[in-house]
Amino acid sequence: MKKYFSIYKMTLLENIQYLSNLFFNFITFTLTIYIFLCLWQYMYKDPSNLIEGYDLTQMIWYVLITECMWYGNRNKSLMESMSNDIKSGSIAYNLNKPYSYLIFMIAKHFGEITLKFIFYFIISIILGFIFVGPLDNFAFAMLPLIIISMILGVIINSLIRIVISLLSFWIEDSTPFHWIYDKLILVIGTLFPVELFPLFLQPIIKCSPIFVVNYGPAKLFIDFSFASFRTIFVAQIIYVILIVILATIIYRKGVKKLNVNGG
Amino acid sequence: MNAIEVKKLSKTFKVKTKEKGFKGSIKSIIHPKYREIKAVNNISFNVEKGEILAFIGPNGAGKSTTIKMLTGILYPTRGEVHVMGIDPAKERKKLAYKIGTVFGQKEQLWTHLTPYDNFKFFGAIYDLDEKTVEKRIAELVSIFELDEFLNTPVRNLSLGQRIRCEIAASLIHKPDILFLDEPTIGLDPVVKEKIRTLIKRLNKEQKTTIFLTSHDVGDIEKLCKRIIIVNNGKIVMDDSMENLKYHYLNKKIIEVKLNTTINIKDEEGIEVLKAKEHNLKISVDTSKRNISDIIDLIGTDKLIDMNISNEPLENIITEIYKSTK
Repeated sequence: MKKYFSIYKMTLLENIQYLSNLFFNFITFTLTIYIFLCLWQYMYKDPSNLIEGYDLTQMIWYVLITECMWYGNRNKSLMESMSNDIKSGSIAYNLNKPYSYLIFMIAKHFGEITLKFIFYFIISIILGFIFVGPLDNFAFAMLPLIIISMILGVIINSLIRIVISLLSFWIEDSTPFHWIYDKLILVIGTLFPVELFPLFLQPIIKCSPIFVVNYGPAKLFIDFSFASFRTIFVAQIIYVILIVILATIIYRKGVKKLNVNGG
Repeated sequence: MNAIEVKKLSKTFKVKTKEKGFKGSIKSIIHPKYREIKAVNNISFNVEKGEILAFIGPNGAGKSTTIKMLTGILYPTRGEVHVMGIDPAKERKKLAYKIGTVFGQKEQLWTHLTPYDNFKFFGAIYDLDEKTVEKRIAELVSIFELDEFLNTPVRNLSLGQRIRCEIAASLIHKPDILFLDEPTIGLDPVVKEKIRTLIKRLNKEQKTTIFLTSHDVGDIEKLCKRIIIVNNGKIVMDDSMENLKYHYLNKKIIEVKLNTTINIKDEEGIEVLKAKEHNLKISVDTSKRNISDIIDLIGTDKLIDMNISNEPLENIITEIYKSTK
């Protein structure tokens, strides 16, 4: 594991040099949140109203947490570099090193998103306090459990993106699949809680990655209960195991069929 | 003892073929057609420990495919490979600790970091402890003379400095074999010479086996004692550099400066390459004609200056490539 920690550390060091870029992203993020704030304020004519059990403060905090997890985990370079590595054959230069390419990419990805994620998390908290104030009855004592669930959400999201990138072994370009997944998470996972969708759609969404990637951790943040933590945590662990198995199978099959021509 | 053993190695690629135009594109989706390309075709060779071997050939000859099979990147279609007694296809990671690779056209260093940080990172990748890494870095810094720019980010280094760091990084774990794929590509003659000297020193001092592919004849001539030439996936020559020169260096190039113009025509063993006013350039096959024949033909009284040289290795290799097409 020491070597993967080194990879993580190296990427983190590299990313510190681009810290100023994060500042510009702050403007986009704040604007997005402000638009949602206006939208929800319009829908909640009276702030004491409840929509499907959520009051305005909870709704805004839900959007903040899901958006933070979406923005904080966006990593174009991971998707592009994996797809390009496979398509161009550069993956070959990683295969003759004594590490697993898959874990290498995961370590690199986390090295790239750590600062970003912390940054968005802090900004989200500040914006939440400025726009709607603190959450009533926030379970401070449960914060470690909420953070575990958020980290698991980020891990699952990253693993799904890696699986999609691995499809490049068979298809010319995995970008459209990334686009579909990204938009699915954005539209269904970040804008509204699952309870706002039609009843027949809710069980489907609850089985989809959206439940474990965005909805689950955000739900725990705004309305923590041990029962929901148990359900979400178990679902997240099952997802992690399944996706790791899937990624390993796809990767092994892909490497065997790898055609790297010329040099 | 052999560092590399290759027996009847073959690699076949399946390549999708597509007919022309839009119709062809649709057809290739519904009924994809493939053709097989034999990139490497039944080759066998051994490399002894401590040897410097040139593995050369024209583009598309199968050199890189062979290297990739030797380093475990590609799975052979048929045949056997053993590198330091390890089957690369079965134990790629185990092999990684015993080999180092440098691809002149591909950066493996992290460009935003300094060579020192990169070496530390590579040390961690190869499971070396802090003390060993520091000691090894000091050794490599001395061999490759990296002192001056050890703490400068790689992106700010010149190509020559970067290549030296690339080679040093690939040696951090003291590999038994170093695979060099065009290590001097794009370098100026002075830096090329420096890299060659360093590679020679490495081979001599650390007994590292060097497996080199290069299109640069200077690399081959100055570094290697043995040469394997591949073309169309097959080995067309496996010989010592001495033998290659001995067999192919029957041809001599004679350049003469005369005090008058004379007319010499091509005949068996003699070929006029260039004739301009009082200067002549003639190629002589010494297995058929003696140098003295040429002098007689010209006449000593007409000679002002004369230079006899061997056929350049580049020409010899080009001829071998052409004759084995």
